[in-house]
Parts: sequence; structure tokens; C-alpha cells
Amino acid sequence: MTPLLPVVTSVLFWVAAMCLVAGVAVVGPRRLYGVGENLVPYLRESRREVAALIVVLVVSGIGRPALQSISEVFGLRLTGLIFALEGNFVAWLQGTFQSPRLTLYFSSVYVFGYAFLLVFPFIAYAALPESTTLKRLIVAYTLNYAIGLVLYTVVLAYGPRNLMPDAVTSLLYTFNPNFQTLTGEVNVETNVFPSLHTSLSVTVATFAALTHGRYPRWTPIAWWIAGSVVVSTMYLGIHWLTDVMFGTALALGCVYLSYRYVDAVGDRDGDVADQNAADRNVADRNAADHNVDDGAVEDPTEGGSA
Amino acid sequence: MTGRISRRDALAGIGLAVGSAGCAGRARNIAGREGSSQLVLEIRTTPADEDPNGIRIARALAENLDAVGVDTRVETMNGTDLHRTVLLNHDFDVYVGQYTEVLPFDPDVLYGLIHSKFTAEAGWQNPFGFTDLDVDELLEQQRAAAESDRARIVSDLQESVCEKQPFTVVAFPDALAAARTDRFVGWETGPPISATGLLTMDLVDERDEDDGEPVTLRLATTDGRITENWNPIAAEYRRYGTFMSMLYDRLAIVDDGTTIPWLAREWEWIDPETIEIGLRDSTWHDGEPLTAEDVAFTYEFLRDTSMGGTEMPVPAPQFRGRGSIVESTDVVDDSTVRLIVGGADEAVAERALQVPILPRHVWIDRAETATVGGFEFDTETTEALVTSNEDPVGSGPMRFIESTPGERVVFERNPDHFLVRSGSDGSEDAEADGDTAESTAGTEDGESIPAPYRGKPAFERLEVAIVGSDVSAVQWVADGYADGTVSNLGPDSVPRIGRESDARLVSTQSAAFYYVGYNARRAPLSNPRFRGIVASLVDKSTIVDDAFAGYARPATSPLATSPEWVPGNLRWDDDREEDPVHPFRGEDGSLDAEATREALREIGYRFDESDRLLARDQ
Repeated sequence: MTPLLPVVTSVLFWVAAMCLVAGVAVVGPRRLYGVGENLVPYLRESRREVAALIVVLVVSGIGRPALQSISEVFGLRLTGLIFALEGNFVAWLQGTFQSPRLTLYFSSVYVFGYAFLLVFPFIAYAALPESTTLKRLIVAYTLNYAIGLVLYTVVLAYGPRNLMPDAVTSLLYTFNPNFQTLTGEVNVETNVFPSLHTSLSVTVATFAALTHGRYPRWTPIAWWIAGSVVVSTMYLGIHWLTDVMFGTALALGCVYLSYRYVDAVGDRDGDVADQNAADRNVADRNAADHNVDDGAVEDPTEGGSA
Repeated sequence: MTGRISRRDALAGIGLAVGSAGCAGRARNIAGREGSSQLVLEIRTTPADEDPNGIRIARALAENLDAVGVDTRVETMNGTDLHRTVLLNHDFDVYVGQYTEVLPFDPDVLYGLIHSKFTAEAGWQNPFGFTDLDVDELLEQQRAAAESDRARIVSDLQESVCEKQPFTVVAFPDALAAARTDRFVGWETGPPISATGLLTMDLVDERDEDDGEPVTLRLATTDGRITENWNPIAAEYRRYGTFMSMLYDRLAIVDDGTTIPWLAREWEWIDPETIEIGLRDSTWHDGEPLTAEDVAFTYEFLRDTSMGGTEMPVPAPQFRGRGSIVESTDVVDDSTVRLIVGGADEAVAERALQVPILPRHVWIDRAETATVGGFEFDTETTEALVTSNEDPVGSGPMRFIESTPGERVVFERNPDHFLVRSGSDGSEDAEADGDTAESTAGTEDGESIPAPYRGKPAFERLEVAIVGSDVSAVQWVADGYADGTVSNLGPDSVPRIGRESDARLVSTQSAAFYYVGYNARRAPLSNPRFRGIVASLVDKSTIVDDAFAGYARPATSPLATSPEWVPGNLRWDDDREEDPVHPFRGEDGSLDAEATREALREIGYRFDESDRLLARDQ
């Protein structure tokens, strides 16, 4: 018996509650109904992107111990260098602003706010009349995870709380030690460079800015939460400023690439009645435009199930 | 032109431009000399999550070295990684570590740690690369000396070691644990991080446990290595060897300072060089009988895990010092074996009995050179050193059941073990015969086993859960997910125990001292005077207050938990506030950097104009 189950339950509960509230407030009840209709066809349309995301997540989930061993033997040990680069910034940040209220706030944001921030765009973008944004989001997430996984393997570094416990308190885990049981399930302590909390949050925030016309209310919320998550990674002593800066750069790069990959014009005339044809068109066009040779063979029988 | 580099660059340019033989020769004479630059040192240690204390020592030392003018970096790595790079590959400048023995030990420990004959070997045997003729001599002498002389030799040895500082002893920590006492008691009697501590624990009330479930002791630790590797001689995966000692019996163990027979039923000196050992009736976890052949095999195997199969012996990276006491073995019959110990002192020879006995039928196949995908990488590595030893076959009171890497490992009581048997047939003796700890001779199993061990362990299952940090471990105990913690607790977690009503802070003495190890193979750490000055940058009193929240005692000698061996001038008593040999260069925790630089100048080191310590380019 471990404390994992209660923690996971509470995260699921809060994320579901926040999604419900935000769904009504941001998307609006009417468009929210569209989610149910759109989600399946949209995901089918983006099946290659979804498959890629799943592959990356599975590799990161199952292959992590193996990659970790590779990292230990061949990886670059950069904890000392990162500290030499930025010095006591995180210690200063924590030492200057630490208060029980802020710790409560940032801990909640780091765990609950972040999970919500990652999940909600799926709902919001599935409610849009075309699938382009959802597809881009999935591509951007995939790139974030994939590049993050490569960097985690190449770079072996520990966060401030592990290097300088005398100056930086591990605030998240002293606030609620059971959170560590949760984060231990999804991450390894040597995976601090870059900060995926930062890169995924900034990714969502960037999308929120780019889709401001669709969801004007979502932009400030996403920016607020993303900003808080970014600060929380350092305030809680988990990440270095260096991790955060690289995470931000990674996010912007991934969003840029996702826009390059998923062509906006190509999907505008996407006809819901003929998913399969539209899908094939997009795939063809992408292959032609960007020389993407994915070798995927469209299954003609799949059209029948649509 | 004050900058060193710009001068060299200029010279290189001049050399190219002039090109005449005479001038070029002069340029070569100047530019061809290796320049100096600031000394860079890296301190390796484990991260705070894994061990909250070591990193604090490393940081404090790094700060002081930086202040003196050494460019110091702290690099964190997990325990496996640290041991691999330091103990096996000798790839380090300085590291902060913890010694592996929890219970007070014999001075002969130093033989394995610093004898120069081990410098080329990989493992716990002399990882420092320390070589000193006088120390070697004293190490040899203390092994063979008569009991009366040994005290004097050991005292000389400590003085020599403390002066030369192959490693700097920082402090002896208290073995702290958060524990629940609603199910098990006895956390205080032996440290729960020792096998004897776990074995002597008692169940509070057996009736409470009568729900069909096996009686389970649940422990929480931050050290996940026990879920991945069960090889008792793999130095990179072992910390104190607590759980290994429960899987693998030793001929003798130390109980409350006395060596008591364990797998050996009894032993007898048949001449000054030979101990004859009678074994208890025992079987391996796979059902094979344990015989004298296994014992003889173990000692040979520790000396050379290739069993003569390679050109040079491949010694085990653990128990090497102890194993080296036994020169040869002689199997008399199935349950009798003689160890030839070459006139070693009795206490030293008893230390040789404390190695895990390995089953010959399992390990003989591991004497081959290790291969990866059929290829040999290195003839100095045998399969025995690299195997994770899945499904370990030991003879100890617990046997391995299952494991999920990084999460948990489960052991189960071995019903055939002599401790369990002694509980059923010797329970009356236990009441009548209080001080059996004294007797080392006995014919029946029960008689030579001290009362606290009879019928033990008190649990049928042992579950060890891996948690993220010391704070998490404490919370697991407080919330009832675990009965006790078995990894080090730091200043963030100790106060937490006080706030939790269901958890108690248990504190016992530990001999597993923290130390700063130096790689004497690398300049300037090869210079004992330089190491002495580094040692004087370790502010032991302040570290004890800050890094251990007071739950440790600063020390000078590595034998400080055996005060009878420590000469008065090396003791760190209550009235002593600074190290007697290399006192801290400063006051009240703040370093006198200028005075330290002056001391370094006196022993021949140089500084540049910005007070950076210069070293030859490496």
C-alpha cells in the first residue's frame, strides 16, 4: 500500500473540476457540446500525430530505466556547470519570497494547475470547427517530450534542492511529501535539464496567444497559470533558471515547428463529411511541402468505419 | 602585459613571425614550458534526496576551498554512480562518502582501506590510492602483534593516518530513524540499519496480527539499489549491506561488541596460525546443503573471483581486507573447515569470519570473464562482479521473494534457518541461560545463539519500499505506510517526526562515519601537506550543527566509536572544540582565507594576483 492512489485521485478530481468550470467559462456550453462530436473524428484525422505522441510517451515510460543507465555511463554531468553559470539565483528567489502562502500556491500550481493546463487545451481545441489547432498542439507536445527525452539522456543534472539543500529547501516535498511519490512515478531526479514543466506550460501559453481570437478568455488564464508554473519550478527548488530558459526556448521552437508541420491553409477547407479524403489531402500536401516521408500507407478499409 | 595567456599567445605569434632558428629555439624554450592555471577540484557526492548529509558536507568544503582560491565544483550522482566512478574507476578528485559498517569495528578495517598493496585493485580496498611506507608497516604489525603491543601500534597507526589524511573523518552520525512502535519494538536496541538490529526486533502483540496475513515489517528507504541488485560483493550497489547480511549468513557476527558464532557453531584455535570451524547444520535457499566446501570456496573467491581463470587475480571489490586475513583453507569434512590465518591477532582473525558465505554451486559459474553480447570487454572483470545476482541463493534468515526496480523489494523468513529452529527447541534455554552471548562453544544450535536472536526474526515478511527523500520516508511512517525508515534523515526531516504523533525519533550510535576522500593519485592531492590543509577547511563542529542538526559527533580518528583504541590526543571529547590534528582555519564557522593561503604558500603553492591557487595545467 502506498500513498500514490490518494494523490492521483485528488489530482484527477481537481483537474476534472477545473476543466468543467473552464469549459463552461472559456469555451461556452454551446460549443462544449461540439467536443463530443468532434473529438473522435479529429483524433482520427490526427492519428499519425496521436500515434507519435503515444510512442514518445511509452518510450519515456518504459524505456526510462534503460535511458537512465545510458545517461549515467555516457551522459554529461552538468550539475556543477549549471551552478557555476547561474550561481545562487534559485536560492535568492526562495530566500527572498518564501512564505507559507506562496508555498501553498506554488505547490498547488505545480501539481494541479500544471495538469489542468496540459489537459484543458485538448477540450478547448476539440470544440473548434476545424482540427488544425488540436493537431498542432499534439505535434508540439510530442516534440517537447521527444526532445526533452533526448536531452535528459544526454545531460545528467540534479536540481537546486539536490545540490544545495542548505540554501534551497525542497518546498514541494516538505509541503506535501506524498507529492514526491507522484512525481517519482513520472520523472527521475536527474531529469532537470530542460524543465518540461516550463516548456509544456509555455507551449500551452503560446498556443493560447496564437488562438486569442477563438478563446479571448483563455489567454490570460493560460498565461497566468503558465507563468506561475514557470516560477514555481524555481521557487520550489526543483529547477535551475538555466532549465527554465532552455525550457522556454524549447517550447517556442516546438510551437514554431508544429505550425510548419501542420499547414493552416490546407485544413481550412477540411470537410467533416469527407474526413478521409481531407486527411489524405493533408497528408499528401505535407509530404510534398516538407518532404515528410513517413511511409504510412492509408488503410482504405478505415473509411468505412467513419 | 600581465595576463599569462596573452603573453603565451604573443610568444606563439612572435615564434611564427621571426622564424629564424635561434629565435624559434628561444621561443620554444619559453612557450614549450607548461603554464599554470587555477587549480580546479571536483567534489563528488550523492544528491540530497538520496542522502541529506553528505551533500551538505561537500557544499561547506567547496565554499571554503573557493574562498581560498581553488575553483571547486560539487557534482552530485547517485550512490551506484558514485561508487562506480570512485571505487571501481578511481575517477575522482575528492568525494564525500559514508563508511559501510554501522557497528563499531576492529582497527584492522584500516588495512583494507589504506594499505598500498591494494592501490591497483578496484573496490573498497584503498580507493584513495594512498601509499605510505610507515603506514604499511604499522598495518602489517598490528595484524600480527601480541594483544599488549597491538594497542600501542594501533595508536601509532592512527596518529600517522590522522597526520597524513588519506581521507578526512568528518563526523560519526547517529543512526536516526522514524519508527512506529505500535507493531514492532526494539528499534533502539540495535540500529535498525543493521541486520542484527532488525533481527532482534520484537512483535508487540501477536494476537493483533492474527488476520491470516503474514506478519510483515515494512521499511522505507531512499536507496533503491536493493531493488535492482543482490550481489553481496558488488561494491557499487551496497551501502551498509544490511539486507545482504539477512540473505547471506556469515561465520560469525558482532553482537554488542562481542563476536558470536553464527553460521559457525563454534571455533577453536588448534595452533597459533589455524582456526578450526564447526559449521551448523544449514541449507541454501535452493535446498542444497551448505558444506565446508562452500566456506573454503568463499575465501578463495574473494581473493580471486576468476578462480585462477585469468592471468592476474580479479579480487572482490568488497570484503577484500577481511578476506586477505585468511591465507588458505583446509576442508576437514563436510561440516568442519580450517582457516590458516598466519599468526593474526585473535580479534583480527575473528574479523575474517565476518564475510558472507557464498554457495559454490551458484558462484563457480560466475568465475568466467564477463561478456556483453558474447564479447569480452576487459579481462579484469568477472561475471561475479557484474551479475545482479537475481534470485539470490543465500543461507540467511531471510530469502528473496520479489522486487520491482525503484519501488520495492520483498523478503520472506527462511523457515529452515537455525534461528527459527532455535526458537522451537531452545526456548526454555533462553529463559534459563541469560548470558549466552559470552559462550562461544556449544553443541546444540540453541545453546550458542544469544537469547535475543532465538526464534527470530519476529516477522514473516520484510518489505522495503523506495521513497523519494528522507522527508517522504518520514511521512510514510507517520501515515502508516511503513513501520520505520532505514535511510539517513537530514535536518528537514528530523523536526517533522516531532510533529507527527504516530512516529517516534529513534537514535542509535553508528560507526558509519562520514568522510572526505582524496584521490592521492592526482596532484596536488598526492601531497599529504596539501591534504592536511584541505582537512583544516572542514569545519567539523559547524557541520555537525548544520548538516546533522546536532545528531552526530565530530571526530578525528576513524576508530572513534571504539574509544578504547583511540589515544587521548586524538579523542574529540566534549571539552574539545576543534580538531586536534588539523584544526579548522577560522573561527565560529567563518574561514580565515588569507591565513590559509599563507599556509599553502609556506608549503610551496603559488597564487596569482587575484588570489587564485595555481596548479600545473592538467
